[in-house]
Amino acid sequence: MGADRSVARNRAVERIAFGVIGALTFLVIGPILWLFGYILWHGLPQMSWSFLRLPPRAIDAGGGIYPAIVGTLYLMVGTIAIALPLGIGGAIYLTEYAGRSRLVRLVHLAIVNLAGVPSIVHGLFGLGFFVLFVGGGIDRYVLRADRPVWGQPCLLWGFCTLAVVILPIVITATEEALLAVPAAFREASLGLGATRWQTVRRVVLPAALPGVLTGAILGVGRAAGETAPVMITCAASFMPSLPRGLNDQAMLLPYHLYFVVTQVPHPTVQLQAGIALVLVGLVFMINIAAVMARTRARRRRRW
Amino acid sequence: MGQAFGLRATLIGALGAAIGLSGCAKPEPGSSSTARLGPTSAASLQIKGSDTLVQLAQVWAEAFVRSHRAATVTVTGGGSNTGIMALIHGGADICNSSRPIAPSETAAARARGVEPTEFVVARDALAIVVHPGNPITDLTLAQLKRIFTARVTNWRELGGHDEAIVINSRETTAGTYVFFQEHVLDSERYAVTALLLPSSSEIVRNVAQDRGGIGYVGIGYVSDQVRIIRLRRDAASPAVAPNARNVRNGTYPLARPLFEYAAGDPTKIERMWLDWVMGPEGQAIVARLGFVPVRWSGG
Repeated sequence: MGADRSVARNRAVERIAFGVIGALTFLVIGPILWLFGYILWHGLPQMSWSFLRLPPRAIDAGGGIYPAIVGTLYLMVGTIAIALPLGIGGAIYLTEYAGRSRLVRLVHLAIVNLAGVPSIVHGLFGLGFFVLFVGGGIDRYVLRADRPVWGQPCLLWGFCTLAVVILPIVITATEEALLAVPAAFREASLGLGATRWQTVRRVVLPAALPGVLTGAILGVGRAAGETAPVMITCAASFMPSLPRGLNDQAMLLPYHLYFVVTQVPHPTVQLQAGIALVLVGLVFMINIAAVMARTRARRRRRW
Repeated sequence: MGQAFGLRATLIGALGAAIGLSGCAKPEPGSSSTARLGPTSAASLQIKGSDTLVQLAQVWAEAFVRSHRAATVTVTGGGSNTGIMALIHGGADICNSSRPIAPSETAAARARGVEPTEFVVARDALAIVVHPGNPITDLTLAQLKRIFTARVTNWRELGGHDEAIVINSRETTAGTYVFFQEHVLDSERYAVTALLLPSSSEIVRNVAQDRGGIGYVGIGYVSDQVRIIRLRRDAASPAVAPNARNVRNGTYPLARPLFEYAAGDPTKIERMWLDWVMGPEGQAIVARLGFVPVRWSGG
């Protein structure tokens, strides 16, 4: 009798707990779905070939967003080109060579902290270090230019700043991928007389490739959506043409959205949602690519 | 083997993409190269500054490059202060400003070898906007000052509803903030309760949603979601609406010139830009965006 009652009570508690968890899940997912639906509903009518292919027309706050799309693509490629070698190199050193000293723990702590730095701080760092210090230094001591050539916001410093922003993602993902490779692989390779570098290059890295790829692509997705760091290091409010050099500014989707919402006198909801939809769609596609690259690379090996 | 190749292909791919990008981005030697010459290049023009002017500059840029194919024009906002700082430090060829440059700023520019040249490119009426439900139709400059310094805090004291006044102001980097402070507040401080908003469209949006709201924006930013207040210089003078006619005949008290400053003696492209902006095409755009042209047909 007593046992029955306690079972019944436990069942009731369980049901309440599941109910609460379910409600909380909906509380989290609901707004996201609503937001996504809102963007789709208002943004889809904006989609057209000319919207994607034409430069903005400021007079009616309309036209297209082509320069912003291209600028965002440039930014993603440039950022990953800088962040990937640095991130993979750093992760290889940390996992395969550095051992477990106090310094390594400190470096790990620094990486975790770097990931938590607010993005506007990254932006100010980029402005101070890359634009004014490095760029300004090049102008002053190398080119001896009387007007800024590199000491001004431009694509290159946007790449560098965003590379710093996504470095923790690339390093962490690569490290995890490297650590997931069974130690037996390394031991077998070393046992056959391979050097440490040969082992890393021929055995460990190829096995870790899916994880590394995922990290890289997630980083790119992050880079595409960042606004604050690029706002002061490379974004232009308006440029009717595409950037012609690494020291040109560029239009970017996230900043263009911010600009249209805050500065344009009478922006339509449709235009705002349209830009948001393209941006979200771009990041979404990149993340899908990450999943696909991972599964593809996974399928080729089993251990 | 296959795995090693996969990794190599990825790395080479990323590297290739980087080289490809810098490759296609690198201008050919001998062309009007932006990489070597930066903002001083014959073909590239950096315009920075006032958020009041940013929309206008954008439309100008769009039309300008249609008739000057070789030119690259980059427009960035950030406020008049930002633009003037960029002009002083060589980060901009042209600075948009909704206030005149201060003597101290001119001195700072000269110290760095930059001689700012002033052009009045348009005129603007600063419109006072309130919620459409607000029954007040006109105010004197003195009343306006009392509102923005919080000596009056309820619309009832001015003959309106019993509603607390919510002050919407631009932020301190805006030339509009400075202009309003000088011409309405007699350089006194804004009330500490004033909301400092980063853009004029946000002032309009805020006021449209707030029954007690009041704010100031360039006439080009006014929408039908807010109501414009007519202004009197003093209690005896007539109430005047902000429009092109009243700006031209000088009766609207909060009319102001909008400036572009060129860095030093304008180079070829800057000269072309300013000539074009002051010409019929540029001034027609001024009128189309709701600002007041400084030159019009026959003038």
